Amino acid sequence: MSRLAAPLRHPALRRARLPVLLIAAIGLLAGCGMIPPEPDTTQAKEVFNLYIAVLVMGAIVFAGVEGFILYSIARYRRRDDRLPTQVHGNNTVEVIWTAIPTVIVMILFVLSMITLSSIDARAANPGVTVEVDAFQWQWTFHYLDGDGNPDNDVSITGTPANPPVMGLPVGEPVHLILRSSDVIHAFFVPHFLVKRDVVPVPEGRAPNDLEFTITAAGTYAGQCAEFCGDLHSRMTFSVQAMSRADYDKWYAAVQSGKPPTPSVAPGGTTVKLTAADISFDVKQLTVPAGQPFHIQLTNKDSLPHNVGIYQGDKELFRGDPVNGVGTIIYDVPALPVGDYTFICDYHPLPAMTGTLTVK
Amino acid sequence: MATTALSPTTESYRRSWVLEWLTTVDHKKIGILYIVNSFLFFFAAGILALVVRSELAVPGLQFLDERTYNQAFTMHGTIMIFLFVVPVLSGFSNYIVPLQLGAPDMAFPRINALSFWFLPLGGILIFSGYLFGGAAAEGWTLYTPLSAGTYSKGVGTDLWLVGLLLVGTASILGSINFVATIFKMRAPGMTLFRMPILVWTVLVTQTLILLATPVLAAGMIALFIDRNYGGSFFDPNAGGNPILWQHLFWFFGHPEVYIVILPAMGVVSEILPVFTRRPLFGYRAFVFATVAIGLLSFSVWAHHMFTTGQVYLPFFSFMTALIAVPTGVKFFNWMATLWRGSITFATPMLFALGFLSMFLIGGISGMVLSSPPIDFHLQDTYFVVAHLHYVFFGGSVFGVFAATYYWFPKMFGRRLNEGLGKIHFWLHFIGFNLAFFPMHILGLDGMPRRIADYSPDAGWTMWNLVSTAGAFMIAVSILPFLWNVAATFINGEPVGDDPWEGNTLEWATSSPPPPHNFDRLPPIRSERPVFDLRHRHDAERLAAEEATAHAVVEGGPS
Ligand code: HEM
Ligand SMILES: [Cu+2]
Ligand SMILES: [Cu+2]
Repeated sequence: MSRLAAPLRHPALRRARLPVLLIAAIGLLAGCGMIPPEPDTTQAKEVFNLYIAVLVMGAIVFAGVEGFILYSIARYRRRDDRLPTQVHGNNTVEVIWTAIPTVIVMILFVLSMITLSSIDARAANPGVTVEVDAFQWQWTFHYLDGDGNPDNDVSITGTPANPPVMGLPVGEPVHLILRSSDVIHAFFVPHFLVKRDVVPVPEGRAPNDLEFTITAAGTYAGQCAEFCGDLHSRMTFSVQAMSRADYDKWYAAVQSGKPPTPSVAPGGTTVKLTAADISFDVKQLTVPAGQPFHIQLTNKDSLPHNVGIYQGDKELFRGDPVNGVGTIIYDVPALPVGDYTFICDYHPLPAMTGTLTVK
Repeated sequence: MATTALSPTTESYRRSWVLEWLTTVDHKKIGILYIVNSFLFFFAAGILALVVRSELAVPGLQFLDERTYNQAFTMHGTIMIFLFVVPVLSGFSNYIVPLQLGAPDMAFPRINALSFWFLPLGGILIFSGYLFGGAAAEGWTLYTPLSAGTYSKGVGTDLWLVGLLLVGTASILGSINFVATIFKMRAPGMTLFRMPILVWTVLVTQTLILLATPVLAAGMIALFIDRNYGGSFFDPNAGGNPILWQHLFWFFGHPEVYIVILPAMGVVSEILPVFTRRPLFGYRAFVFATVAIGLLSFSVWAHHMFTTGQVYLPFFSFMTALIAVPTGVKFFNWMATLWRGSITFATPMLFALGFLSMFLIGGISGMVLSSPPIDFHLQDTYFVVAHLHYVFFGGSVFGVFAATYYWFPKMFGRRLNEGLGKIHFWLHFIGFNLAFFPMHILGLDGMPRRIADYSPDAGWTMWNLVSTAGAFMIAVSILPFLWNVAATFINGEPVGDDPWEGNTLEWATSSPPPPHNFDRLPPIRSERPVFDLRHRHDAERLAAEEATAHAVVEGGPS
């Protein structure tokens, strides 16, 4: 016992006490921030527990090693010119300290694999299946209702300025099919402690999927997590989790609110616009003042494009997207004389912005 | 410097100063060229880091638009890795390894010069994207299909590929040179197990470069063909696979992490024994651990790809975690070297101790990420940015500064000012932790990396502000360093040949060494020939004392 107590009486250590306490305090403070958000799916709760176990192991290792280093440099600072003992090694301790990390690693690995197999399990009958279509730079949430007719499916497409909301029921397994038509994206909801890459796969290869059961109603922020080009930072969305009854109401509302395909009124000027490679072919359109006109948008990309018309920040018109290659004719109400901005709401970039002159 | 007369070039004719440096094949001059060139790129990439951090300080786009931001972090990462950390460590190895081996030069001095001169050329090509419509902006990992012709039209990406191919070729040439030098140019008496530990780490590092870089080069050529000549290696719509690029990139990229950390470990393992006056505890175990890390590093690449859904998780998770074992062994070796030492705290030692603490944090966060379920949450968030900076910056760059302060007197015969050095260290150390520790918290909170902007409602503002303040503190810490270097050149005091009481052969010659390095070598009977020479009497006495002490206390030698 006295051997252990002896070094603490050393003056060098007494002097070191304040910095050590300070470091411990900072470490404790920092450690408190090292917690993920409150987990809100059954899977997330398991990941959370695993993380806490690993964090505790990591903290112990850190405290042990760092403590040892600080102790040594305080205790063994040079005091005279004598040469310290020249110890070149010691087989016993070296075997022991090879074994210590080996054991820690095994524990970490086994715990991880147990959690992995549990969170990767798939339900036979998920409550809701959503096809998540990622594109540069937003999402389409396509609800597969299983009636085999894609025309009456609910489909929600966001824009960087108006990110989409994914309504989901609480307490039921939710199955997501992750598809991309361009580059790699990643579906990430921090409160679900999970992300999965959305990969454009070659023909015949199954896309990635993801399954979770939400445990608490609420709105959860989500965002693309794999860097995907210019507006990567604006690929945000949110998940709105609600009871089954509320979800059914929400779904019906979205379904009935589905805008009917607009019929085009005859007559009036038609201007043409082509979108290819995320840019418009013309940057200047001119139409007559005081009468309705048409914009014919041809989309040559596999992504959605549309045309929105703005005066400053004020939205005057927003066209429906053309999802993938195709053409649409917009009916635009009459505008007074002036200069306006037209823009693709999905790609608010210089290449997809132009001036609409009304005279 | 009475010995220069032996060198025929300096006697017979004098070349102009500029020509001399442009055409030199002396490993010491080439080493200095490497180091100076790398530091210039470090400052450029550091300024880009400040740009990135300024933009992120608060929500909203204040200085840049998205594309400019993306170019900034792409160039920052690319330059830091390929044109700073790797070459600066090669520079120190270039200068020190032949000296530590007791050799007159590298095995192939001309190839040595060639592999250096590719670097500034490659770096300029990579940067020149800015002049031709914009630099590459796909991240330093250049993932396909984002980097394919359809989605990244600019010529900046092609320049990035060509520039990096040059840099890669330089590393391959350099690695052959190092391996040949280490195997063929050792002084008489220097067996493999008497090589200084830095030489061992360089040997393993250069072997990794030799095996890994060609894989990246092949991938980059394939991508170049995809972009310019209608190839479809990585195009999912034409039978290619975009994930293939990730495999090729990380098959190189993970060994790259060890290429960057092993020489820094070597530097620290040279410095700790000198400033504790103890031998490196468990020299052989350290060598085996280094080799083991090198081997394992080729079987863990897919831990960067856990979330792609296309890798076999248990295997890569297990191999990744396994690397903790040899790394742990090294930590214990370092700790045991400190234990009962006689420790002084000159600036090189401070940076070496900083390395231990910061690399420890990077290693632990790496263990956290090796668990796939946890990685599903943390992948591509600021947690990873924190982790990679604790390893690259807290590890390798602290090692680089330790090496700079430690070998500066060897290179120029003058020691950097200790007071300024300590100011540099403390500003650097505190700034580093302010800048990067909060990123762990941001990442856990779900802030993705590589985003130009974030919402004010996300709750990430405070820690981003702290992090930006830390980044500027790091920048400020560089000022005393630069001042120190300049002042030492102008009026630094000569400090003799061996100011630190070094252990290894570079300290057995003059400072700076003559062109042919050595007039005579001490006998080499251990990994510390100069120590043995200095303490030949002490050592005998100590050995005798220890033998009796052990016999009494433990009943036998251990
Ligand atoms: C002043 C010091 C530094 C600061 C403030 C800094 C800051 C940053 C930040 C904020 C990012 C994330 C950018 C983003 O994801 O949007 C980043 C990325 C990165 N940094 Fe640093 N860094 C510094 C030094 C270094 C050093 C010394 C290295 C390497 C040796 C390095 C290597 C990297 C790499 C590889 C990336 C990833 C780039 C990418 O995502 O493509 N950094 N840095
Ligand atoms: Cu995305
Ligand atoms: Cu790796």
